Amino acid sequence: MIKVGIPRALSYYQYYPGWKTFFEKLGAEVVISSLTNKAILNFGVSRAVADTCLPVKIFLGHVISLIGKCDYVFVPAITSLGEKTYNCSKIIGLPNMVRALIPECPTILDPEINLEKGRYYLYRNIYKLGRYFSSNPVKFKKAVEEAWEGNLAYRRKMSHEKITAIQAIDRIYGEDCAPAPSLDPPEELTVAVVGHPYVVYDDYINHRLIFRLQSMGAKVLVPEMVPEGELAIAARKLVGETHWSFEDEIIGAGEYYLEEKVDGIINLAVFGCGPDSMMVSFVQHRAKELKIPFLPLSLDEHSSEGALLTRLEAFLDMVKRRKKI
Amino acid sequence: MKTYLGVDVGSVTTKLALIDGSLNTLASIYLRTRGNPVDMVKEGLEEIKEQMPPEAEICGVATTGSGRYLAGVILGADLVKNEITAHAVAAMHYMPDVQTIFEIGGQDSKVIIIRDGIVIDFGMNSVCAAGTGSFLEHQAERLNIRIEDFGGHALRSGNPARIAGRCTVFAESDMIHKQQMGYPIDDIIYGLCQSMVRNYLNNVALGKEIRPKMAFQGGVAFNKGIVRAFNETFDTEVYISPHNELMGAIGAAFLVKEEMENNHGKTSFAGFGISETEYKTSSFICKACPNLCEISQISVNGKVLARWGGRCDMWERIEGK
Repeated sequence: MIKVGIPRALSYYQYYPGWKTFFEKLGAEVVISSLTNKAILNFGVSRAVADTCLPVKIFLGHVISLIGKCDYVFVPAITSLGEKTYNCSKIIGLPNMVRALIPECPTILDPEINLEKGRYYLYRNIYKLGRYFSSNPVKFKKAVEEAWEGNLAYRRKMSHEKITAIQAIDRIYGEDCAPAPSLDPPEELTVAVVGHPYVVYDDYINHRLIFRLQSMGAKVLVPEMVPEGELAIAARKLVGETHWSFEDEIIGAGEYYLEEKVDGIINLAVFGCGPDSMMVSFVQHRAKELKIPFLPLSLDEHSSEGALLTRLEAFLDMVKRRKKI
Repeated sequence: MKTYLGVDVGSVTTKLALIDGSLNTLASIYLRTRGNPVDMVKEGLEEIKEQMPPEAEICGVATTGSGRYLAGVILGADLVKNEITAHAVAAMHYMPDVQTIFEIGGQDSKVIIIRDGIVIDFGMNSVCAAGTGSFLEHQAERLNIRIEDFGGHALRSGNPARIAGRCTVFAESDMIHKQQMGYPIDDIIYGLCQSMVRNYLNNVALGKEIRPKMAFQGGVAFNKGIVRAFNETFDTEVYISPHNELMGAIGAAFLVKEEMENNHGKTSFAGFGISETEYKTSSFICKACPNLCEISQISVNGKVLARWGGRCDMWERIEGK
């Protein structure tokens, strides 16, 4: 059976169930890389240009860790997911970056997803992708439809059940994942964590942020717990037309949770992220307007978690003291 | 007499302060950490023992600063608190109407915004440590002057040089250029102070509502050049907190006093005997998973007191504790 490797990084957290369904319906076996670990980070850092952001370095590391375990590696170029919105250039050029930096990589499956170019362009790219596995176009169409449904169901599961992407994937496939923290202390506060899923859910780079917050007695809310449509409405309310893909999970989620009057809001970003540097300012200003505590956290390769803990502890102390009045 | 001990183990210095029930500071000590927090805590404790009045009894111990967990284990602390809360509590005691606290330490810098006696916002330097005490110390070393003389030079400057302060690397190349152009050392030094304050206000304090009364604390508050730059920027006097270098330790002592009085608990302080105890710190690499975490541990006579550094809880649980 043909094996397709999917790196557990970047868009994995948004689309894994869809992609898995697609390839399996075409008769392939899906192999995913392990959770991010030191070896994966080191692989990535050793190959990437220094200026690349941490999540892309980690993606490269995941690709390297899949070498020898699969026939193809799936690295889609997600250019645009809606009218007049574009993705970060590092994501758009991801397949080319992988090809240039990891010459020993197995054949890369790199369909471009660019909704700006219309449906026909997307169908053509899916057709080209399908040809790696079958010569029957009816089969591709069926696989795409089921994949699309599967992914919508995954997204709905998160907002209906108010769970994180990790929990949702876990419930769908029963795979191993981060341990659920003990919730003995009653949750005193509600804290929203807004950020891209590949930062919020990668426990290696964020030092188990959600777990830490929960063990400090906070109820943690993430963007995926809100239906996609409502995030989009909230984002438009705050900034009007959006221009970046994945703007909703920062601006939309920020605005949504601020209106919900959470006790505090944390933005989890990575050092050097261009789109975030703009998006976060909108949320920060809005938090100030509504007088809700806001904590910006910027992550990079640092392995020491001390600095992060100090900020989290001080932030929760502040939120608790403010709530008492 | 009931007394409470606060210990602030920072990256560059270690501070200890002993207070009584009425929040008076009875004894204090300020030491360089020199990368050896364990010995400095022991040395500091010995010093406190000599300074403290004979009738004093320690009824609570709190630790703060980046070395707070390690110090907390050695001392048997009743409370381990982050330095932002500790600094705010101490500043509000000495200056009840304070609205803004600037705190610049060795490796990090913070701004704390207070309204009506409550911390409502704070900012902290993010990824890099430019614009902190270490930055100034490093530059002083490059200019071959003692950090203690830094302020005097800055005060003599009449025409400060413009030095880029965003990043230590940029500042250094800019400074070398100014040196080669023949700028007087006083102007270069005050230019550095200004660039550091500018960098601090544009990064750490960006978007924060800075209102007087402003307090300046942390080791860098000793530096008269930085104080001058702050005063000139705001065109108002920035108050230097009394015991500015000890504020973290004093705040921690205040907090543990409050905690012990509320809980009527008995202190878990390990006693002055720890100065004699031989603590052994060591580290190893855990090979249980591909993360290969560096675990460090502290032990006495082969008995492990605490472990850190894992990405999971595997090593944090200690048997028989």
